[in-house]
Amino acid sequence: MLKLMEARFPKPDFTSGYQYPDILHSVPNETLWNVVDIVLLVGMMMLVVWAAYRKRSRAVIYSISIVSVLYFGFFRSGCVCSVGSIQNVVMAAVSPDYHLPLYVLLLFLLPILFTLLYGRVFCAGVCPLGALQELVNIRNFRLARAVSATLSIIPWIYLAFTFLYAATRSQFLICRLDPFVGIFRLGGDVGMITFGVVLLIMSVFIGRPFCQWLCPYGALLSVFGSLSWKKLEITEKGCINCALCGKSCPVDAIRSPQVSRTREERLRGVNRIILYAILLPLLTLAGAMLLGSQSDALSLAHKDVYLYELLLQQEAQPEMEMPLEVETFHALGGNIEELKAEVADIRSDYKLYSRLAGALIGFVIGFKLLKLSLKRSRRTYEISTARCTMCGKCFNYCPQNLTSSKPRRPHSPQTP
Amino acid sequence: MNNDKLKSPIDRRDFIRRCGSLLAGGAALAAGGFLATKVKGKTGDVFWQIDPYKCTQCGRCETDCVLPISAVKCFHANRVCGYCDLCGGYYRPNVKDLNTAAENQLCPTGAISRKFVEEPYFEYTIDESLCTGCGKCVKGCTSFGNGSLFLQVQQDLCQQCNECAIARVCPSDAIHRVSYDDAYQLKDHA
Repeated sequence: MLKLMEARFPKPDFTSGYQYPDILHSVPNETLWNVVDIVLLVGMMMLVVWAAYRKRSRAVIYSISIVSVLYFGFFRSGCVCSVGSIQNVVMAAVSPDYHLPLYVLLLFLLPILFTLLYGRVFCAGVCPLGALQELVNIRNFRLARAVSATLSIIPWIYLAFTFLYAATRSQFLICRLDPFVGIFRLGGDVGMITFGVVLLIMSVFIGRPFCQWLCPYGALLSVFGSLSWKKLEITEKGCINCALCGKSCPVDAIRSPQVSRTREERLRGVNRIILYAILLPLLTLAGAMLLGSQSDALSLAHKDVYLYELLLQQEAQPEMEMPLEVETFHALGGNIEELKAEVADIRSDYKLYSRLAGALIGFVIGFKLLKLSLKRSRRTYEISTARCTMCGKCFNYCPQNLTSSKPRRPHSPQTP
Repeated sequence: MNNDKLKSPIDRRDFIRRCGSLLAGGAALAAGGFLATKVKGKTGDVFWQIDPYKCTQCGRCETDCVLPISAVKCFHANRVCGYCDLCGGYYRPNVKDLNTAAENQLCPTGAISRKFVEEPYFEYTIDESLCTGCGKCVKGCTSFGNGSLFLQVQQDLCQQCNECAIARVCPSDAIHRVSYDDAYQLKDHA
């Protein structure tokens, strides 16, 4: 092809001693920054652990948020992030030829490992998305628990679709729908920036709306958080049930003691748990079947499938204006039979992965129902490590933390 | 409950939680180990680049980059160029006078300048700070000339998005990942 082009005009033979200019092209941004990223990521997470467990200091966590927004957000312009790394990891897991950079793998794994040990320290202020919302937050208006619980299914649906589109190599949904990357880059898709600004205005009044009801990585971390080895306590001096911390939490992660609730018959509770335990696999199955049945429609998100559909449309209505994709396809001498075979492959992939994604959504809905039906009695205020983003606000609200004298005796109904 | 001696050092809920966290930790480590087998090379193919032989100059590089002004720029391979007076990348089609007046130029931002070398040759240079990556000159050069103008991702401008926004809409799948050593796909070396 190149030979053909070169033949069009012969190479000039200069007589004036003309020299070809040497053009140097700038090298890519040094990969050294990736090392700095990882070191900072680990360092900041360790700092959060120290600040939360040892110092019980919100000031340190707040400063980390500022550093994170400035460095990971504005300086490194938010790409690649741990939230987005889910997609690379899914892609690497399902396709044999995808090269997963070590840097991206670490971005994915390190916050999970830290969460398993200490809870969601990554969310505290290391993640620039959470940190940005944290910095603008002033008030905490609460949604009703029922509404909040229903909304908290959204991250899982988001995660399921992210998985589906990454596993079928269609697109990176998280990168496309990232509301804050446009703000960090001071430019970008108008729709997404508007969405980001709306979220930021919301997070002035409601704590971290993105983290609570959208973030798919947060959903993943909440699972590991609920199983974390260490459990953060608001005060080491014992809870006095003053309820101040509960009101301070931006993400509604502090559970009040349920002593005054009306008791119900034991059998009723057991029956309800059995009902939901039966419902769980049924919902999983229903989800798998429902999304699986839509796999052909979903597969349009893949570029090649979309092109194929465009080609079919074009064939059906030749008078229609030719889309650029179709034009390019014909110009490059594309073979429609080859494309058809390829599309069939992609569609069978979609069949499998959309079932898996549907099963995940169904399972999560079932599991949330099951969990809601369990009643837990608590004697004091406790942090739900699945929800807690370790912002540290409650530390300052706890009166026990303000007294520097010797520990007061904890309030407990059992002690005489 | 009242008898402290009967109390186990760890209560049931904590015990279940510990078991769960060990299980989850094991699962996370196993998944990490599996994924580590997918890590190849030192840096791997992480930089976005355009294959100039696949590019069809559709113009989406200019409009779809996440940057306000695209990181895609026009490059010029002098060793491929014919140094023509009537340059398909420089002049608009059917231009009347072969002079450097703005209305004759194909480039919408006037990023291409030309310099007389010797009869009948002209040297063309691209000012990358003006280039928007629209590919109009590339189309002209590829259609009428030697194809010495071609589009490339300027690596120090590229944000290295996890998924390149241009690659998503590129009709000819010309954008792919390259390694640090092959950061550019230049036509001079082909």
